[in-house]
Amino acid sequence: MSTVDAPVRGRDRAARAVLYAVLALGLLVVIGPFLWMLLSSFKPEAEIRQVPPTWWPEAPTLGNYRELFSRLDFPRYFLNSTLVAALVTLGNLVFCSAVGYALAKLRFPGRRGLFVVVLGMLMVPAMVTFVPQFVLVSNLGLTNTYAGLVLPFLAGPFGVFLMRQYLLSVPDDLIEAARVDGAGEFRIFWQVVLPLCGPALATLGILTFLASWNNFLWPLVVATTEDKYTLPVALALYSVGQNRTDFGLLLAGAVVVVLPVLVVFLVLQRQFLRGIATTGLK
Amino acid sequence: MRGKQRLGVAVVALAAIAMAGCGRGSGGGGEEAKSVGDGKATGEITVWAMGAEGEKLAAFAKQFSTENPGATVNVTAVPWDAAHQKIATAIAAKQTPDVSMIGTTWQGEFAKTGALDPTPNLIDKSAFFPGAWDTTVVNATSYAVPWYVETRLIYYRKDLAAQAGFMSAPKTWDELKAMAKAMQEKAGVKWGLSLQPGKTGSWQSVLPFAWSNGAEVATADKLSFDKPEVVEALAYYQSFFTEKISPTDLPDGTLEPDFVKGQIGAFVSGPWHVGLLNEQGGAGFSDKFAVAPMPTKKSSTSFIGGSNLAVFKDAKNRDSAWKFIAWLTKPEVQVKWYQTVNDLPAVQKSWDDPALSGDKFLPTFGAQLKSAKAPPAISTWEQVAAAFDIEVEKLAKAGQDPAATAKAVQTKADSIGTGG
Amino acid sequence: MATARVATVPAKQVGAQSPGRPAPVARTRPRWRQAVTGWAFAAPFSVLFLVFMAVPVVASLVMSLTDLRATDLRHPFGVNFVGLDNYAKLFSDGLFRRAAVNTLIFVAIGVPLTIVTGLAAASALNSGLVRLRALFRVGFYLPVVTSIVAIAVIWRFLLDPGAGLVDNLLALVGIDGPNWLFDTSLALPSLIVMATWRNFGFLMVIFLAGLQSIPIHLYEAAKLDGAGRWQQFRHVTLPMLRPTLLFGGVVTGIGYLQLFEEPFVMTQGGPLSSTLSVSYHIYNQFGFGNYGYAAAASYVLFVAIVGLSLLQFRLLGSRD
Repeated sequence: MSTVDAPVRGRDRAARAVLYAVLALGLLVVIGPFLWMLLSSFKPEAEIRQVPPTWWPEAPTLGNYRELFSRLDFPRYFLNSTLVAALVTLGNLVFCSAVGYALAKLRFPGRRGLFVVVLGMLMVPAMVTFVPQFVLVSNLGLTNTYAGLVLPFLAGPFGVFLMRQYLLSVPDDLIEAARVDGAGEFRIFWQVVLPLCGPALATLGILTFLASWNNFLWPLVVATTEDKYTLPVALALYSVGQNRTDFGLLLAGAVVVVLPVLVVFLVLQRQFLRGIATTGLK
Repeated sequence: MRGKQRLGVAVVALAAIAMAGCGRGSGGGGEEAKSVGDGKATGEITVWAMGAEGEKLAAFAKQFSTENPGATVNVTAVPWDAAHQKIATAIAAKQTPDVSMIGTTWQGEFAKTGALDPTPNLIDKSAFFPGAWDTTVVNATSYAVPWYVETRLIYYRKDLAAQAGFMSAPKTWDELKAMAKAMQEKAGVKWGLSLQPGKTGSWQSVLPFAWSNGAEVATADKLSFDKPEVVEALAYYQSFFTEKISPTDLPDGTLEPDFVKGQIGAFVSGPWHVGLLNEQGGAGFSDKFAVAPMPTKKSSTSFIGGSNLAVFKDAKNRDSAWKFIAWLTKPEVQVKWYQTVNDLPAVQKSWDDPALSGDKFLPTFGAQLKSAKAPPAISTWEQVAAAFDIEVEKLAKAGQDPAATAKAVQTKADSIGTGG
Repeated sequence: MATARVATVPAKQVGAQSPGRPAPVARTRPRWRQAVTGWAFAAPFSVLFLVFMAVPVVASLVMSLTDLRATDLRHPFGVNFVGLDNYAKLFSDGLFRRAAVNTLIFVAIGVPLTIVTGLAAASALNSGLVRLRALFRVGFYLPVVTSIVAIAVIWRFLLDPGAGLVDNLLALVGIDGPNWLFDTSLALPSLIVMATWRNFGFLMVIFLAGLQSIPIHLYEAAKLDGAGRWQQFRHVTLPMLRPTLLFGGVVTGIGYLQLFEEPFVMTQGGPLSSTLSVSYHIYNQFGFGNYGYAAAASYVLFVAIVGLSLLQFRLLGSRD
């Protein structure tokens, strides 16, 4: 939606100013902790623990990062996390859009039931299936493998729900027109429907990547040797002790962990900004 | 949906049949330990270790490989965060390593699963602090070996105490309170003694007072919280809050900075705080504070914690695993380990070594360790402790009567049981 | 006023896109072919799903009907079948009841608050009024990706009665600010505000996607009819956004009913269990090894989640 073509009147200008002010204030409020996290990763341990917390580092140091990269086999864990998150995200994008399309636009027996079951699974509290899931995965011989890290998450009910809701608002006429033109179902999906889903796919991609990247408990339990650890697991290894927490390492680790997520966010956001220009649903 | 329904019925039927058959697993006492073969260790020994121990053990264990050629120690470091979950899940799926580090409070639960191998005669129990050895015992059978220990002492600002007229460490309950009060009145301290007002782990601060008053509190078969000695200890604990010597709402992370600034005069904690305080206080701060044993009522008894090492029944290399543990608990090796990661040795003889006996603070810890106690290794301890913590919070923050508190804990403990 | 829902069932009322066209579907394609296509699209997902999700769920349901404890994990089939005992015990558990009340309050206030904030942010950023949209978008999303540890430190400081910003601001207008996180009646509201702050970015991203897909010509048509910005919002945006709003509401409801991290990190369920949530209670029970009992509590939570979602589907859902 764009009102850019409307002339900017005085009332509009005032509204704009107020909006900017509110948004800027809001931005400060939300950015605060992130900024503190970033700045504090350059502080020595004692300063981080100070109350009231300081903002700008009084004695800036790269020590936390140096320690992080020397103690951790960083490339290995980064690779593991990237591989797992990329596979899970890709898998979700493909499978969930396919099922979402089927649920939203195709008619087949059991469609209602499938949607209900998927939705139901979304509502089961995660904690309760954890142990049975692990026993299952280990009985399948998948402990300490990449398959064990990835497979349980390839089929996400969240993604199915998101895509289905989004696809419901894709107009039927387009699909009908393509069908009338003689296109096969798969071609319709791939060439007509999917391109319209830019924003939804970008959103699903961001959210799935984030969840997979930050996943801690499952990789911890599935990996039995350190070479299969993902980044969050490795970071917890070095920063949380039995009786004390090394905040410097924890924060440096948190910054390192957040950067790829932000990159993915920015890249996908750009994709879906471009999507507006081409999505001329007329 | 028919396919799914059929599957569901099949699963339930299978489960029902299976359940009708087998009995509950054994484990948790009354087991005979198998002996360990002679000779050197061989083969691969897989070990799980948490935190700093996990990080440094692999390199440290190379010495063991030198003494036992043909044996390699493979260490997987596991984060403390969720380590309990990881071990429990591994037991469920029978994916355990040969050896794992186990927190003392988890011992009872893991022993009862039947997953742990009873400790063989290879290990001499008299070498360890009695309180530490007790944490490995479930129903008269030991299922692990203490590796390192910790205990709780009173940390206090000796310079401010001197200002308030107390030249030496407080020795009795009355002296402790008097010193705390005096620091507030004469040395400008805001809180004379900071005690934990309930919440997770507060039992580790409260029970020492009950034990010091002669209360047994908990054995493997009986939980007795509702006793006059316990009530007396609870009343003493509560008095610090009601007399405004201890804060009820200290924000997280402010303890160390406030202690350094001189706003808090004393607190109760373990050996890790020495390093934390030196870091926070900077150079020269270690001259300003001291540690004192738990004050005496009928005795001076503190809490003993730490970590044990256990071998799993499903271990692939059992004999060598036990030999590795025997090596780790040799007095000289324990000293070397202390020098590597600052873990206090569980073996008593190690404390004679100058590295420990010459330290400023350690001898006090060593003396307290001789008599320190731990709760019994029952599988329900965590739940009982949590109930205890909740009632202590009410005691400290809402002024709940000590006798009522003891009764409430007893009621909850009775319904939870000892898991036996 | 244009009805916004695009019908997926043939011969029903169609939206403004194609006035007057009854849009029949499936007239030229045989039924069975559609069925095969449908399942073909759904198959890969369904297989993975069945194996890795459905089986564990059934297993855990069975678990909730037994007295399984952590100590039985090596011999899970030796436990006793206790039927609905665990469920009955839940309702006489004072802590569980407290946790349930806390969680319901949190959801009742938190969900609408987060949706409104997310929608407001998304609308503001979607309108042509604002430059630097990308900056704001990233900024508002940051709390979602910031480590909970950093968030906890800053919020604890913000709410500190002595040095904290909130109480200092209140002091400026003469109010003596309370000790937010240590007050049994204020701790939960504080966590609600914190959770809203933390999660509205997530909804903002989702609503933005929904807003982007609303065809421009609908707004143009409305403007031609003389609708002002607010009326455009009410009569074009909101109705078109219905499926997305439903999604946002359901997902937030599911998430908030399972509130865990905020009380875990900020207050550890205190003070005096005033911020204990059902998920936190379940977590504790799993920690104690009471697997059967914790599973039962999880399925009670599940029923609550289903209930809330059904309610939302009724209010906002499609007439499918």
